[in-house]
Amino acid sequence: MIAAKTWREIRYMALAYLVILELLAIPVILWWPDIYDDLQKSALFRNIKVEMFQRIFSGVTDKDENAAYFNWVAVMLFFRSTNLVGIAAAVLLGTGLFARERENHTLEFLLARPVSRTSLLWQKSWPTALVVTLPIFLVSASAIYWSSQIEFGLPAWELFLASVHASVFVLFFLAATTWLSVIVRVQAHVAAIIGAFAVVQIGIYLTQRIRQFSLFHLADFEWYGPILAGNTPAWQMFDPINSHGFTTYLLAGTVLLYFLSWRAIQRTEP
Amino acid sequence: MSDAVIQIAGLHKAYDQRDVLRGIDLSVTEGQLLGLIGPNGAGKSTLLRCLVGMVQRSGGELSVFGHDPAKHSLAIRRRACYLPGETGIYHQMTGAGFLKFALGFYPKQSLDLKQRLLEQFDLPLHKRVRSYSAGMKQKLALIASLVPDVDLYLLDEPDRALDASVRFYLRDVLRTLKDAGKTIVLSSHHLSEVETLADRLEFLLSGRFVSEQRLSRARGQLRKRPRIRLRAGCELPPGAHLLRREPDDMLVVETTDDPLKWLRSLPEGDVVSAEIGIDRLEDLYQLLLSDQATSAASSSTSESSGDSP
Repeated sequence: MIAAKTWREIRYMALAYLVILELLAIPVILWWPDIYDDLQKSALFRNIKVEMFQRIFSGVTDKDENAAYFNWVAVMLFFRSTNLVGIAAAVLLGTGLFARERENHTLEFLLARPVSRTSLLWQKSWPTALVVTLPIFLVSASAIYWSSQIEFGLPAWELFLASVHASVFVLFFLAATTWLSVIVRVQAHVAAIIGAFAVVQIGIYLTQRIRQFSLFHLADFEWYGPILAGNTPAWQMFDPINSHGFTTYLLAGTVLLYFLSWRAIQRTEP
Repeated sequence: MSDAVIQIAGLHKAYDQRDVLRGIDLSVTEGQLLGLIGPNGAGKSTLLRCLVGMVQRSGGELSVFGHDPAKHSLAIRRRACYLPGETGIYHQMTGAGFLKFALGFYPKQSLDLKQRLLEQFDLPLHKRVRSYSAGMKQKLALIASLVPDVDLYLLDEPDRALDASVRFYLRDVLRTLKDAGKTIVLSSHHLSEVETLADRLEFLLSGRFVSEQRLSRARGQLRKRPRIRLRAGCELPPGAHLLRREPDDMLVVETTDDPLKWLRSLPEGDVVSAEIGIDRLEDLYQLLLSDQATSAASSSTSESSGDSP
């Protein structure tokens, strides 16, 4: 019942999120042949001094156009769209889960119903988690179709793996927002805290020597590119001992934050 | 007591080192209707929230249906329905949608009562709650809280924002529930209305129950305080002194003798209107608070004199 209510509350935002992701994906795919040509000729990007942009530029201008296309999809579809728009969606949907209920005095109403707090958290979390992750898979699936229109092939399994990683990255932010939504009483404060956190993380990522300390390092184009090219098999995504295992780190962080939310909701008072 | 639905001993609750409940003792038996009376901030809502495990107590013992709300809150909430003091209703829902959602948590409902309440309250259920007035929202919240067929109803100011006719109707509904053997605890600001309904009345002041003796003494004192409106230009006759003048020119006085006798002794035509024997809650609060302040001052004086060598 609470899950159905949560779905009713977020369904239009979910649709808007899906449409935005799709609208961002279509042009970058369909215009790829022209973009590739322009990038080959462009001196502008070659002269950019920011090291990160130089690496992006070098990836998307690879002599092998297929490899360049994978890098392009990694940058535009995952690093830009799902990471940033996904985080925005997670924050927008997550802030209201509990903080808004508290502000509207409806949290007291919910806590008085014969439903456990564990169930309350779960029934609010899973529809939201589904809403922020499912569009990533749908847009990835549509990317295969749009790519075929420009006679490029995108491997379904690799695309699926990249989508799994992108989903876990977004879920991490959703779990962090949910936790804050339980412990912080004002919805705007939750948004401000998680927004500031994301900005700091981006700032760290853009700083060359400390990039590896940013969360965005765990989900950047250099991570998605090899996955799409088939150079990072699934076990490497999840194995933190013999490989990077970034997906596992993010998954562990998400589970930890969900546990913190669970602990906080047990103690919360309206 | 074997049939005690609620059993409280020395209940204590503090928020940020501010004591809200200071040693509450209470026992409510099955089928009893307990009225909780007290000024704002007295701790009525906190007490009700403690009973459903919504807030955790800082000390003392508490059991509802034999369960500790801190550990088995869900078991209690399956048998109890709580109406919060702040009407928390989803504004984006329609009235019908909200009722479906709110009642959907309870497997057993009194459909007959639901029908009666819907007919009586005549709410535009197809409209969104955001277009409702405060009174309409409270009526909706009341339906959501009274229709579940549970054993215990905890109602925090159920008569808030309701006009007199609806309050009277609510009284009938509560009486019906009580006659059906349900246990009810309700807090209210309407002393006279709760008094006619409740089996027992507890007066909560600064986190403590006021003793029956103290309450009856205060009420006795209040009965010596008639409120009269005199004809313009009339002086207050002897035998009473003025306590205060209210904005509507009502004079609250204290008589030295029997107030009724005093009123009868007044020259005919001087008194425009008079009230006697009506317990005004504000007056009662004021009296009890001043009484409390006096006893606190005297106990600190006796303590300090006891400390002196």
